[in-house]
Formats: sequence, C-alpha cells, structure tokens
Amino acid sequence: MRALLLSIAGVLLAAAHAEDPSALFTGTILPVLKRDCLGCHGEGQTLSKLDLRSREALLRGGARGPAVQPGKPAESLLLQLISGAGAIQMPPGGPPQRLGRETVDAFARWIEGGAPWPQAAPVSQWTYKEEDLWAFRPVKKPAPGWSIDAMLGARLAAAGIAAAPAAGKRTLIRRITFDLTGLPPSPEEVDAFANDRSPQAYDRLIDRLLDSPRYGERQGRRWLDVARYADSSGYSNDFERPNAWRYRDYVIRALNDDKPYDRFLREQIAGDELFPGDPEAWIATGFLRAGPWEHTGMSVEAVTRQMFLDDVTNGAGVALLGLTLGCARCHDHKFDPIPTRDYYRVQAAFATTEFARPEIGFLARENTSELAAGRARLNAVVKRTQASLGRFDEMARQAAMKKHGVTRAGDLPKDVLAKAVRDKLGVGPAEFEELKLHQKHMQIYRDSLDRFEPKAFAVSSGPIDGATDGGPNLKYPAASEYKAPEVHVLPGGNVQSAAEKVEPGVLSVVARYSRLAEPAIPSGVKGRRGALAQWIASPDNPLTARVMVNRIWQYHFGKGLAADANNFGKMGKKPSHPELLDALASHFVESGWSVKAVHRLILKSDAYRRAGGAASAKDPENALLSFFPPRRLEAEELRDGMLAAAGELSLEGGGPGVFPTINDDVARQPQHRMGSLAPAYRPSPERRQRNRRTVYTFQQRSLADPMVEVFNGANMDVSCERRDSSTLPTQAFALFNGQFAHDRALALADRVSKQAATPAARVALAFRRAFGRAPDAEEKKAALAHYQRMAAHHRAAPPPPPTPPKPVIHAINSELTGESHRFVQPEDPSPYEHDTRPHEVPPETRALADIALALLNSNEFVYVY
Amino acid sequence: MSTKLAPASLNRRELLFHSGMGLGAAALAAILHDEARAADALAPKARHLPAKAKNCIFLLMEGGPSHIDTFDPKPKLAALHMTKFQKERNKFEANMNTGERYYVRSPFQFRRAGRSGVEINALFENFASVVDDVCFYRGLRAESVNHPTALYHLNTGNQFGGDPALGAWVSYGLGTENRNLPSFVVLPDLAFPQGGPANWSNGFLPAHYQGTPLRPLGAPVLDMTPPEGVSKERQKANLDFLGSLNRMHRPRHPEHAELQARIESYELAFRMQAEMPGIVDLDKEPAATREMYGVGGKDPDVEAIGRRCLLARRLVQSGVRFVQVIVSGWDSHDYIDKAHGARIRAVDKPVAALIADLKRTGLLDETLVVWSGEFGRSPDNGIRRGGEVWGRDHNATAMAVWLAGGGVKAGSIVGATDETGLAAVEAVHPIKDFHVTLLRLLGLDDNRLRYLHAGREKQLSQTGGEVIGELLA
Repeated sequence: MRALLLSIAGVLLAAAHAEDPSALFTGTILPVLKRDCLGCHGEGQTLSKLDLRSREALLRGGARGPAVQPGKPAESLLLQLISGAGAIQMPPGGPPQRLGRETVDAFARWIEGGAPWPQAAPVSQWTYKEEDLWAFRPVKKPAPGWSIDAMLGARLAAAGIAAAPAAGKRTLIRRITFDLTGLPPSPEEVDAFANDRSPQAYDRLIDRLLDSPRYGERQGRRWLDVARYADSSGYSNDFERPNAWRYRDYVIRALNDDKPYDRFLREQIAGDELFPGDPEAWIATGFLRAGPWEHTGMSVEAVTRQMFLDDVTNGAGVALLGLTLGCARCHDHKFDPIPTRDYYRVQAAFATTEFARPEIGFLARENTSELAAGRARLNAVVKRTQASLGRFDEMARQAAMKKHGVTRAGDLPKDVLAKAVRDKLGVGPAEFEELKLHQKHMQIYRDSLDRFEPKAFAVSSGPIDGATDGGPNLKYPAASEYKAPEVHVLPGGNVQSAAEKVEPGVLSVVARYSRLAEPAIPSGVKGRRGALAQWIASPDNPLTARVMVNRIWQYHFGKGLAADANNFGKMGKKPSHPELLDALASHFVESGWSVKAVHRLILKSDAYRRAGGAASAKDPENALLSFFPPRRLEAEELRDGMLAAAGELSLEGGGPGVFPTINDDVARQPQHRMGSLAPAYRPSPERRQRNRRTVYTFQQRSLADPMVEVFNGANMDVSCERRDSSTLPTQAFALFNGQFAHDRALALADRVSKQAATPAARVALAFRRAFGRAPDAEEKKAALAHYQRMAAHHRAAPPPPPTPPKPVIHAINSELTGESHRFVQPEDPSPYEHDTRPHEVPPETRALADIALALLNSNEFVYVY
Repeated sequence: MSTKLAPASLNRRELLFHSGMGLGAAALAAILHDEARAADALAPKARHLPAKAKNCIFLLMEGGPSHIDTFDPKPKLAALHMTKFQKERNKFEANMNTGERYYVRSPFQFRRAGRSGVEINALFENFASVVDDVCFYRGLRAESVNHPTALYHLNTGNQFGGDPALGAWVSYGLGTENRNLPSFVVLPDLAFPQGGPANWSNGFLPAHYQGTPLRPLGAPVLDMTPPEGVSKERQKANLDFLGSLNRMHRPRHPEHAELQARIESYELAFRMQAEMPGIVDLDKEPAATREMYGVGGKDPDVEAIGRRCLLARRLVQSGVRFVQVIVSGWDSHDYIDKAHGARIRAVDKPVAALIADLKRTGLLDETLVVWSGEFGRSPDNGIRRGGEVWGRDHNATAMAVWLAGGGVKAGSIVGATDETGLAAVEAVHPIKDFHVTLLRLLGLDDNRLRYLHAGREKQLSQTGGEVIGELLA
C-alpha cells in the first residue's frame, strides 16, 4: 500500500512542475468531491464526523484523524481510502478504486502540491438559492394597464418619498437630445421646444430624435462598447482590421432602422448561416471577431485558437445573455448554475467558426464617397516608401558588384544580384534597422489599402478557400478537408489537458427553469451557430430580452434596473424593480423586439421627465428614482458637443475610420510593432474629415485618442457595460490646455464674431451656442469684464507665428545590436488643411476664444441634468 | 479674483446644511461618505499587514532578457555548444521554437560578486558592487512566450490585458502621499512597449489608479502646459473666469456634489502643473549624483536609462507610490553577444546607482525594487540569417528576476534552473505567486485587496496565490 502510494508520488514529481495544483483542484478535485463525497460528508450529514467542504475541515479531519497531510500524499488518509488499498474503501461499494486510477492520481498530485483550495468559501455556498435564479425564470407578463410610473410610484409611496416635480423644458430637451443622439440641441431647437405650448410638443420631440440618423450613431456607439469594437487587433502588431468599419456602420444602420433586436442578434451570431442571401447579415458576424486577437511566429497555435474560442464564448455570454460565462472555463461557475461542461458545450457551437474575409460588394447605403481619395492618398505614401526601400536594394547591388569586382550590374548573373538583394548584402546594422522600419511601414500601409476594398471582416463555418483570414502564421486546411474539431472540457482551462468530450449545446440551466427547451444543435461543420442564435434570440429565452431592456433603461437613467448590465447571475445586483424589468421585456418582445418602442415607453414616463433633486434619507442611492440623476457627458458626447458648439461638426456618416486631431505628443509617440516601429499617427488632412463624430474615428487598440481615454472612454478589450465617470486632474489638462479644446474655442469665437457685431451680442451668442441659453445679468457682466481684459492683453501680445510641425523621430533599441537608432519620418505628402489659427484672427476674436474656452470647460457644459 | 476655496467636505457640509432641503442625517452621512470616498480615492490607507516597503520601483526589462547570459550562468552549454537536435513541430509549440535547434553557449564572461558569490555577467561592473543588497530569484515561471501577452501577464496578472496593473492595485491599496502627483508613474522609453498603455491600465479600478506615463520628450504629462503662445497670466485669468462661471452655476444644483469635486480637480491639476517641472528637473540634483547615474556622460544609451532611474528615485522621494521604469531592447534572437552586451552596458551603471543612491538616502529600506523581464530565453536557437549568428528564443519556463529593498532577503539566491537553463526546477512559482509576494512586501494581502466589478470580486492574482516565503527577509 505504502509502496504503491510512493510510486504514484514518484511519477508525479516529474509532472508536478507543469501543473498548477490550484487548477487541478478546481478542474478535477472539486467536481469529484461534489459528485461523489459531499452527499455523506458535507451537505446535510457528516458521517464519521468528516466534512469535506473546506480545506480547514479537511485538515481537521474526522473520527479517524486528519484527512489530508498537505505535501504528503502517502501519509494522507483520504488517499489511502480512495486508492482502495486499505481495508476501508471510499466511496463505498463497487470495484476497488471506484473513482478510477486517473482521479486517484489527481488527488495524489493535488495533495503533493500542498492541497490548495483556492476559494476559501465552503462548498455549500455554491449551491443555488431561489433568489439568485431570477434571471433564468420565465419573464412575467404585467397586468393589463400597467405603466412605468404606476410601478415606480407604488414603491415611492410605500417608502413615503415624494417624487421631484417635472424638469423645465430647457433642461428636458438638453437631456433627451444628449441621451438619444449624443449631441446638444441647437439653440434654435431649444427655443422652439421651450416656446411650443402644444400638448404634443414632447411627443413630437421624441419622434424627431428617434428618427434622426444621429440616433443610430449614439446608440450604435453603445452597442460597440458592449461588442468591444476596434479597427485593429491589439497585442504586439496591433494589425489593422481594414474592413471592420463595415460592421460599425452595420450596427448604426440597424439601430437607425429599428431592426428587430432578435434579428439583429441572429445576424451577428450567424448571419452567414441564417440569411445567406443577405450580404449585410454576413458583415454582421464581425461581432464574433471584435475582441483582441493575434497569432505570431512565437504563438502556440492551439493556445491562440483556444483564446479565440474562450473570447467568443465569454464575449457572447456577457453581451447577449448577461452572464460571465468565462468563470466556468476552468471550473464549475462559482456562483451561477453554469457547469464547466455547459461552458464547453456553448463553445462547441463556435468550434467550426473560422475567420473569413469574403468579398461582399459595397451596399448602396454604405458611404463609399471617400474611398477613391483615401486610396490615392495612401498609394502616394506607399510609393514613397517603395522608393525608400529601393535604396537598400541598390546598396546590396553595389556591394555585390564590389565583391565580384565588376563595375556594371549587368556584368553579374541575375541570380547573384537577386541573392545579394535578398540577403541585404552590404547593409550595415544601423541601415538594417532603417530598412526594417520601412519594411514594417510598407506592410502596414499595404494592409491599410484593404480598407477601400469590398471585403468583410467576418466569419464562416469552416474555412472558405481563398477567403480565409488571420495572417501569414495561420494555416487552414482546404475547405473540403476540413473536419469539425472535437471539443473537450478543459479542466483548469488548460488546452493540453482535454477531459470529457462534449457536443455543441446551450446552458442547461435555461431549460431547467424557463419555458425554453434545449435545442438540437447540429454537430457537423455547418449549422451550429445558427441553432445557437435561434436559441439566444428566442422570445422564450428568459435572459435575452431582459438584458437588452435593462441596457436601454440604463442609457436613460445612468443605471440599469439590474445595476450590473453584464451580469445577471448571483453576483450581479438584483433588479430594484423586477416586475418593471419583466414588463419592459414583455413589451419589447410584443412590439416585435423594437428597441425604439422601449425608448419611447421610457421617455414618455414621468420618471424620465423629473427634475434633479436631493437623495432622501430613505433612499440614499435614489434606487426608487424620486428624482432624475444628473451625469457627466461621456467622452464622445464631450468631443462631439464641442465640435457642435463651435459649429464645426461634420455630420457625414459611415465609411473607413477617420483620424481626428489628437494630442501631438501622442501622435508623434513611437509605437512598437513586432521587430520595429509603426508610422506616426497622421490626422486626416481635411478638416471636415477630422471633425466628424467620434464614433467614426479610427479605433486603434494601442493608440486611443487621449482625450477620449481620459474622459473614461470604453476599454476596447473588455466588454464595457457602462462608462465610468471619475473626475480626474488630467481631464482638466486635456480640456483646458489641450490643442483640441483651444482650436474649438477659437472656431466658436470666430463664428460668433462673424455673426454679431458688439461685444455684448457676441458674448450672448457664445453662451447660447455652449449652453443653449443667453447669459443672465451677472454672467454677462463677468464675461464682458473678462472680454475687455483679454482683448487688451491680446492687442498687446500678438500670437507668435505658427511653428512648422516638429519632425517625427523614430527611436528604436535594436534587437540585433542592442544600440539605439534614430530616424526621422518624412512628412505626409498630402497637403494639410489647418484649423483656424490665432494669428489669422483679430485680438477681439482671441479674447472671445478665452471666454469660449471657459464655457467649454464649465460644469454647465460638461453635465446633463 | 481668487480661486482659492475651502476644503471640499467643509464646503459641501455647509452647503447641505444651508440648502434647506430637509435632508435626513442618514442621507447626509451617505452623501458625505460617498464624496469622501470619491475625493479620497488616493488618500493614504492602512496596510493589511506590517511591512517595511511602502513604495515600489519596478524595472521592467522589455523583450525578455536572457537569464543564462545575465545572472544564471550555465557552463554545461559550453560543452553542448552547437550540438544539433530536432524539436518536433506540434500545435502546443510555437513555430519559431521548433525544428532544427542548436544549443548555444553564452558568449559572455562571468564573475563572482558580493558575499554570496553569485555569478553574474562580468559586464555588470557597477551592479557587482550592490549585489549584497539584491535577492536573485531563479524559480519564477511565466506562461506565455508572446511579448504582449507575457507583458500583460507580468504587469496585470491577465494575459488578455484589460485588467488593472500591479501599480494600479498598489495605488488602490495604499493610496499616495503626495496628492499633487499621480500615484502610479511609468517611465517608458521613447517608444511605448508592446501592448501599449494597457500595460499600466487601471482596468476596472477607478481611473485615479491609472499609470501616468512621463514622456522622455515634450511635456512629461500630456497637456500639462497650454499650447504655445498662451502665457501663464492668460491661463490664470481664464482659470479665474472659469471659476466664476462655475461658482455662479453651483447654486442651481446645490445637491449635486460632483460639481464641487470637478472644481477641485482643476485646482489639483494646476498644483500638479506647478510641482511637476521641479521634480522632473534633474539639474536640481548635485553633479556627483547625476554622474553616478550616467546622466550628462558620453553614452546616450546610459543617459536615457540613467535619467529615468534618477527620476524614479526623485518621484519616490516626493511621495509617488509606484514607479515603473521600462527598458526595451532585450529581444535578442540573433547577435546576442552584441545586443545583450550593449543593453547590459547601458543598464549597469544607472541601475547600480539607483540601489546605491536609495541606500545612501535611507530610501532603500522603504522601497521595493524589482527587476524582471516578461520571460527568459532558451538555451538553444534555431537557424536564422544563414546560421552565421546566434541568439536565443523566448522561454516562459525560466527567467531573470531580482528584488532589492525593504523586506527582501538581501544577498541571497533563491531557486534554481536546470543544467541548461531551460526550466526553473527549484522554488518554482507562477507569476501570480510573484504578484502576491510583491503585494505582501508592500503590506498588502492579495486576498483582501479586492474590488467588486460587474458582480465579481476581483483580485490581482485572479484566483489567489501564495507568498514566496524564501524571498522575504
């Protein structure tokens, strides 16, 4: 017996280094304990006084003494009992070693590794309480005649809290316009609404905003947050995804069209399978690839693939079902009824999902107007880079001629010349770094040229010959030879430790608690995602509609009825008004999954139209919504709002991402790409392109616009359920010192100066443009005083002439020599259309710009009430 | 007009009492508590456990420095040099690590240093004099052999990125002692590392804990100074006007405390604007100190690293909690003799000066210094560039790491790698244990340093880890 155990321990030592005993515990030990042991030694009874629900209890042991001696499998009672070598055998009955040799070995390795128990909570806490299962129960239909206000009002009345009065009309129009379109109302729109006495004025306002193309841009950005949209792949190369913009525009179009949400989801999960005749539905599958991804020569293929599968499984779970499926990757979900097996069954539905870049002709509704100009501009850069590279070929040819003692290249055989060029003959270490830099730039520019091609960043079931994607390091089999890969449970999430094989499936908990039965998911190459999509988008899926209406509610009140929009499991906050959440979900499904119908219902409620107010002692968090909670503008609203106030916002929609003006230091910041550096960031040369809405700006994972970033922009790598709004001193730097803010202030001042003649009229107009209202007497007085003071300052201190742009310096520490090298990147060949500059306007306009800068920085501008 | 305001809480309390809203005591307490929490995100906090170190300087050697050619010599490789073997291609190995392989000896001389007699690359002429303050750790194993994923893993505990960096967790756990400066400062090379700013992200923690990179060129903090042509007087006048606008607006929303917090954030920003230039100005240091770090010398590579090491000391001295210095260029697949040689020569003097200077100023006791790459390098190499040159590929199972400073077992070597340096085999621990240990050295308990995010209690180690006791004094 002892000998046997020692031999087990001996075998194990060799393997021990490769294995994490904590992962072993969660992947193997714990499920066995739950399945085979706790019935008698934990839940309900503790036979022989032995409790196996925590490490402490295990060490304490039962009637026969400690069950485990960490680090000493041979001396551990538990192992003696389960190995079947002694007089007593556990679990009782059946053949010796009933748990199987492999499991017993696992227990031995786990004890050898110190018997870690990574979660300190006893196992009994991982059973599911009724109140934690609410999201899996069928949606309850509301009683006829229900309303948001009746439901909220009942709770307020019960708590004895009075609701705030209705907000003023000027407050309301600014609130609803930002909420629905992400832009401020124009001063004219504010006046028109404030003066409209008609009882239908508000309903007309709702209709106008829901019908505005700006609506889809604003709500689309919110969906892109959840989907983790970016125009690049992240990691070391951060390769461009040159056709990803078509997915972005698809999302905006779908929301503007109020495409039924169930269809919207089906298209994104399996548009290629379910709607093969609809080219747009294939573009929609870009959703599944939105996460960061990379495969390089130093990547392990099985790991890369597994990372994608984990990413898409968890990404879909979080975004569509409000469940953190990723928690069940290594072990049964700690809190929610999601066994690891279900996680891998869902993953199996994606197992044949491969990257595709099919040709899909541009749609009539896509913005292709910039493609030709963009291509031409990029081609000019490519041509120049080619010329730079040519120098090194010439250098190599010269070296070859010298080596062979000839004076004309024609005197050398072609293959000798070609080899010299290939081997970079005569190219020294510093020159070689420069060569690598140009090669890297060339590769990046060439990838970018695909922006203008009618391809899609999409997926397919199995590879498509000639239209696969993923880069040079990834090899696909021919479509005819492709077989659906087997999917196994991976204990501890370890790709090398495949356990039980699983078939594609869904979350078993849903069929258990709701009306929605388990669907049959095909196990061939095709049809898996399609079946999964039908299950997710079913009106009987208890999660899908609830998750989305909760998001819509959050978009208006800052917080969902269930406050953790991406987590409807046990650890997410319970809904404050569960019956209201269900009523909205029912309304959503009955309206034909109309997102706009849910907006409309919410916007028409009194709750949405309330004024701000103070928290009641009985409801300090305002969970009962007795008043309307104010919020800071989100990063995009702030940037777009500044452009709008300045009269510069360009409303052109769609097309490849544009490059706005960003902080110059960041633009010139050299960025590593594998083996070399990326070209410097270049703003779009035309003003109207730079000044487009932020949703249309190129989203580079490694280079976010610092102004968007500092105002809590979405993290592009992780699904963002809700924007943070922390107040930071670096925000003051960006908004008060940043070039972007100064440029907008000057543009606003310039515009106002041309529209009004007197200082008082100009100041009043500036207030109207920023706040949608005229200044009061006190404000007017302060502003005019500041204006006079600054005008005097500017008359005395003319602005310095603009300095030519600083050169872009590339600095790299060579991998080859360890030395650092510096190169200057040539300027963009395209002419650059400048923003209005201080020396181009009179001193009075510059004084007005000082006022405008303060207006754009003010609390009134930055908050929505 | 003055923008000087009384402390936030006082203002707000007065305001609430005078607002006539009839706010109950509990609600008032809740609001004040919320504000205090928001306003004091960076206030110094009590540690979980007693510890000596209260600050950390993390010297991140980006690219994967070779342990075999720095602090962990492998004489066996001299015997195996250029021995050919075949490593099967399979889906669990990177393409670049498979195929025809050759063992490669280290091209460097090694020397014994300090009382422990640790063998280090002889090019570390200056560093040799401080090894008695250093604990070399040879047992650490990373998981990924890809730069960005390995960097994210080392910096944030999560290979995918997106989670808070170690410096953000430490700032969250300890707060900072100088509210005019960021708590977590990053000193990158001119080029940012692979994976970019996600390496110093606050992740799901509040943005106060985000790492602030101080750029070696231009304004050290983005937009810390106004555009060219905006004088200090003009900026001050505009700031005063902004203050008056905000003050006139304030009574319209008396219950909305964030407005006050935002007014104060402008004041903090402009205090930072006033204080930062003095701190980054290395001319304030005596010439002898600058020389010690190699600042002002002939070698530009030493200069670039020396400036950052000296700045790291000045920042820690000024109350910054966590400083990360990033030195790139260690990815020596080829020409390792030249490439690693030049890197070692460039870091040797500044890093040795940093330890000696911290010790001299008494800061070493309360500062934890860490030196680590994102992974180590392999004892073997494939054939590239015609087989004429050799270097080493990536290796996640062994790496070059050392610690110094408060609470560290100075003058010791912990753990060991096998005879070729392929893998750590003694005192072996994963990255998460290393993280737990670094937190422990700073008085923080990983299991208590948690943050509730989207319904999940999250922590740096992700699922818990153990302290590597051998590294502690």
